Amino acid sequence: METLREILAPDFLLRNSLYTCLLVGAACPLVGVFLVLRRLAFLGVALPQISATGVALALSLHVWFGPAHSHEHGANQVVAFIGAFTFSLLAVVALAYMERTRDGRTDGRLGTAYVVATALSILLLAKCPQAEQSWLSLFKGDIIAVTNGEFRRTFILLALMLVVLGWHRRTFLLVSFDPDLANILKVSVNRWNLVLFLLIGLTVGVAVLVVGPLISFGFMLIPPMIAQRFADNMKQLAAGASLVGLVAAFAGFYVAYVADLPVGPASVGLLGAAYVLAFVVTSLLKLARPATAS
Amino acid sequence: MDGSSHRGAGSGVEATVNHEWIIRLRGLAAGYRGRAVLSDVDFTLLRGSFSALLGANGSGKSTLLKTLLGLLPPIKGQVEFRHIASPTIGYVPQQEQLDANYPLSALDVVLMSAHARIAAGFAVPAGERILARECLRATAVEDIAAQRFARLSGGQKQRVLIARALMTKPDILILDEPTAGVDASATTAILELLTGIHQERHLTILLVTHDFGIVRRHANRVAWLRNGRLTEGDTAALMTPAHIAEMLDLA
Repeated sequence: METLREILAPDFLLRNSLYTCLLVGAACPLVGVFLVLRRLAFLGVALPQISATGVALALSLHVWFGPAHSHEHGANQVVAFIGAFTFSLLAVVALAYMERTRDGRTDGRLGTAYVVATALSILLLAKCPQAEQSWLSLFKGDIIAVTNGEFRRTFILLALMLVVLGWHRRTFLLVSFDPDLANILKVSVNRWNLVLFLLIGLTVGVAVLVVGPLISFGFMLIPPMIAQRFADNMKQLAAGASLVGLVAAFAGFYVAYVADLPVGPASVGLLGAAYVLAFVVTSLLKLARPATAS
Repeated sequence: MDGSSHRGAGSGVEATVNHEWIIRLRGLAAGYRGRAVLSDVDFTLLRGSFSALLGANGSGKSTLLKTLLGLLPPIKGQVEFRHIASPTIGYVPQQEQLDANYPLSALDVVLMSAHARIAAGFAVPAGERILARECLRATAVEDIAAQRFARLSGGQKQRVLIARALMTKPDILILDEPTAGVDASATTAILELLTGIHQERHLTILLVTHDFGIVRRHANRVAWLRNGRLTEGDTAALMTPAHIAEMLDLA
């Protein structure tokens, strides 16, 4: 109880880390809902990894272009953000284009993108031990120091993403569920798919930079998959996913703080346990009500 | 079905068809990525008709349908609409096209058709909800409005999709194999429903089917696709045993 009071105190030393976790925990699942519904879960795995490659490139720039890039934390952060964001956007635009042209298999493309991005990150950082250390911390989801500026930037960009996603939720649902109907109603499927993928890219870019790829894809995929097992409509799915993400983010942070563990793995581990629990509960409920199944 | 409910060639429906066309295709070539699946096709959809589009799998029925719906631009030729720049088309897709992964109620699915009339970011207006319920009532599934679409039976899904098409206030109703995967009694009920809608609302209906019985009983016009060519005419003229045998390569 004492620890809980300490964590919730306004002058808590790691408050920015906590707030960032909660923000990512609540926002990422809302984007993830569309990935899960469109059966693009693997995109949620590959994109953060590709985005992390952008961070790796940014962190290792000084190896390729001279030492000027390695000193100032603020400048490095901006470069890293640009790297994460640019790689996310390029990846979603390329994947959206390939989706449109139906050239090859989606799962194969995403799998290839995932392994190539990981290999590229390792190669980029091979000659730069300091950057490698920063990137590995990010990769592990070890969120310790989030500055006021980083928190502010994360908050503004995620809030912007949520406003656009909420404002156009019906259009995103229409082009996802029935693209033919959307076209008949003169809604441009390609354009709205691109907007949706850009929002996903923006969220991934922002989240990866502050909490790393592990938490990003954990929170994008697992909460919607848990909520999907209980939800009967889109509102329940979105609200449920966001709530699960928020609770897991707080619980993960609490456990990590108490047991001195990295926050990312603690949160994602809790989400995994919650998914298993949800699976067992819904399976038992289904067994208990066989007559209502159809 | 008794004789009085038959609506095929020579039935009462014939009287509702005037011979004014609503959609006309002239010299149409259609296909994918510049490769024509259909070439030099002429087709006329008569206003107020109940038309059936027949053809074997791979004959180009879906290509023709997509061209009519504006989903596929013609490679050659054109799609003409009479009197109106572009008629409102209510489309009923094959139910398997819609992913069961989405937690949508029957009402949610119907309301999708009102997308253009609902301002982004705002709640669905009460008037649209009332209209959606009216459409569900017209297809006799208002009682399942709140149920999850994916869990409905094949027949119920088709009724919901017909309600969704009616929600667009269409001039033309196009249905892609609405009885596929539906049992016999539900098939009869769906066709009776469509016939009722056709008569009450004077809608032009184009139905894609493989079922000759449906065509004989309900359609007054037939378009038959074979080897990339289209033959069209009155049901009585095209559904003769000799012509069917010819179209099925049995002659």
